[in-house]
Amino acid sequence: MSLSTISGERDMNAVEQPDIKDLRSRFGDAIRSVEVDAAGEAVVNIDPDRNLEILAHLRDSCGFDMLKDVTGLDYGGGRPIQVVYQLWSTKESKPLRVKAELPLDRPRIDSVYRIWRGCNWLEREAYDMFGVKFEGHPDLRRMLMPENYEEGYPLRKDFPLRGRFTRAEQTRRALARDLEDIYSMQELSVAEAGRARAGVGDDEPGLGTQNMILNIGPQHPATHGVLRIVVELDGEKIIKCTPHIGYLHSGFEKLGEYRTWNQNIPLTDRMEYLAPMMYNIGWALAVEKLLGIDVTPRCKVIRVICSELNRILSHLIWVGTTAIDIGAFTPFLYTFQERERIYNLHEAYVGARMTTSVSRVGGMLADVPRGWLDGVREFVETFPKTLYETDRLLTQNSIWIGRTQGVGVMGPDDAVNNGLCGPNLRASGVAYDVRKDKPYLDYETYDFDVPVGEYGDTYDRYLVRMEEMRQSIAILEQALERVPEGPINVDDPRVILPPKSEVMGSIDGMISHFKLVMEGLKVPAGEVWYSIESSKGELGLYLVADGGPKPVRCRYRTPSFMNMSNLPALVEGELLADVIAVNASIDIVLGEIDR
Amino acid sequence: MSKAEESTVGKEHRLAETEIPRNFIVTRLDDLVNWARRNSLWPMPFGTACCAIEMMAAAASKYDIARYGMERMGYTPRQADVMIVAGRVSYKMAPVMRRIWDQMPQPKWCISMGACASTGGVFDTYTMAQGIDTIVPVDVYVPGCPPRPEGLLYALLMIREKIKGESVIDPRAREERPEAAGKPHLSPEDVELIAEPFGNSTIQNKISGLESSSPILRPGDRKE
Repeated sequence: MSLSTISGERDMNAVEQPDIKDLRSRFGDAIRSVEVDAAGEAVVNIDPDRNLEILAHLRDSCGFDMLKDVTGLDYGGGRPIQVVYQLWSTKESKPLRVKAELPLDRPRIDSVYRIWRGCNWLEREAYDMFGVKFEGHPDLRRMLMPENYEEGYPLRKDFPLRGRFTRAEQTRRALARDLEDIYSMQELSVAEAGRARAGVGDDEPGLGTQNMILNIGPQHPATHGVLRIVVELDGEKIIKCTPHIGYLHSGFEKLGEYRTWNQNIPLTDRMEYLAPMMYNIGWALAVEKLLGIDVTPRCKVIRVICSELNRILSHLIWVGTTAIDIGAFTPFLYTFQERERIYNLHEAYVGARMTTSVSRVGGMLADVPRGWLDGVREFVETFPKTLYETDRLLTQNSIWIGRTQGVGVMGPDDAVNNGLCGPNLRASGVAYDVRKDKPYLDYETYDFDVPVGEYGDTYDRYLVRMEEMRQSIAILEQALERVPEGPINVDDPRVILPPKSEVMGSIDGMISHFKLVMEGLKVPAGEVWYSIESSKGELGLYLVADGGPKPVRCRYRTPSFMNMSNLPALVEGELLADVIAVNASIDIVLGEIDR
Repeated sequence: MSKAEESTVGKEHRLAETEIPRNFIVTRLDDLVNWARRNSLWPMPFGTACCAIEMMAAAASKYDIARYGMERMGYTPRQADVMIVAGRVSYKMAPVMRRIWDQMPQPKWCISMGACASTGGVFDTYTMAQGIDTIVPVDVYVPGCPPRPEGLLYALLMIREKIKGESVIDPRAREERPEAAGKPHLSPEDVELIAEPFGNSTIQNKISGLESSSPILRPGDRKE
């Protein structure tokens, strides 16, 4: 698929913006083409050999200070692999996508680590999944797959969904891996370096000391799942921290290419199981953007209610588990009590407690049941009491303050450059919230504040989340006031099943029903990078369609992944106990880190 | 022995208890050992994904796993005797899970919580083990995606039922098999069979040698 197919009949204004004109005049042939995607955003196709030069110019002179995503894109059939950079300017609130095409037989490109530190894990993942070699990257190893994975690069189109080997062979190889061997490959070298620094092994015995390597996880209660952290310790002080992820890698992005657009919605539940509705809705919004349809006013408000309920749901489990990690058990019981109430609302609406699959492309799975909005209203009225109690338990608690204040500090400039996102970024003093900066679902019409921290430490991250829950309550109150009457689904036979009377009574209705059920909805060729503010941070969905019933590429740029990549920067120099506090405070969910 | 347990002892024993002075009871050794075992199940929560959140909900105030007196979640496998695998297990995680299982002392039991742990669920992909029973022996499968906390509690009750039927002289309940450590639980042919569509439901009957579809397993049903 060439880039020209993604522009179509769309508004070409984005191509005319001054930055792009400037790029063309400055770099000439290195700018191969400029297109517009389904959302009306500019896509610049550049010469891969000059990517460093062009991207450095974009950051320094055009204000694109945030690198949101680096990923690969393979159309299959021997066509070149594309590397996709998604940039964002925090000052001007505008996006830009830059692409470079690499030949399939020799996919190499310069790493942009010098420009944005946040590319570290993103490039490693692209290497792991597509085999793109990023030259100059400090640590280009396998990340989600095991280090000695032999089957190839999973997201390439020639890689089969179930892997190259048989299941028996995969199981045998998995269990034949010597744990000590793969666990210590990198860490042993760290220990040796420490030994060399300390002079151990020299002729003189002397007072040489040796740093200690401590392995935490992958099965450890404080890692919130199956994360593994390896720390090098000098006494209690952390010299180096290396998170290892991929223990929950499930192949969502590969699986998504084999599922129709609506079939992907149940998968998004399983990715972010702490705030599932938010991801359902994010997926539906991105596909609707590709289709160019706008949902009904009632649907928008219901979606806002679901999103904000889930933000509270996710922040509640954050408070509960973080408090357990730091040593307070009571808030866990308080917050789980409230979570059960939200789960009851989930059950009343969709029938499931956690895996909701609430949205559909073009609407919701159904209108809300009678009385459901009253249930939400009751929750909104009574929940602040628990919030207040939890607040009283923790905010002024001297143990809590001692464990969190001044721990894991990151300043605003570093936070933007390193790709921190969500409440963590705001705790570092950057007022970036997708709901304000690139509003979706009419968030601009709601009156709410974006809490911003002052010091960027663990305590600020706690305060920001507590305040976000209060703001969510405020948004819920406004949304409940304005729920309009009317249909919940768009009236568009391309995406929504027609009513049963029409299916039985008219030939048109029957045909569109048959086509939707048998083939799935068709999305016109194009691509979009759509983002929503999830409870963990900015969820970016990069979807590429070729006109068929299934996506060509569904990329989830998940917020926990970006936040987790900043753990080393946050904890190095702190004490060992702070790793647990900081790791808890950045609010990770392994399902979306590993995907 | 508490009053609640008297019913498991035969009627004649109860008669004997009233006639013979206190601090003395006649019972079968099996009854005594099984009573102790089934009331002190210490779970090893091996939570990976969504199901782990429901496992946490089972431990929180509404469902309260502590009502059975065995909420002591032992995060060390060496002091646990029922492993609850909650969530999907990838091939990268498989050796870790097998090692944790090997580290648990006998007698031990395993609960496979949720569709992904039991069969691979929707994740029929290059990275996901198609059911943890290819790697470790499983006693109770809990269906659901994820199962409700009640489902997990019921699974624990089923383990208790299973223990009731065990015998201390049955060597299989105590046998440590170091030569099997770190090896897949199933033969390669069975792993392939499981990976087929609907392979799991047929293989599970085959493995457990179940004649009936009764939910309560007998001790002889489990093939180590």
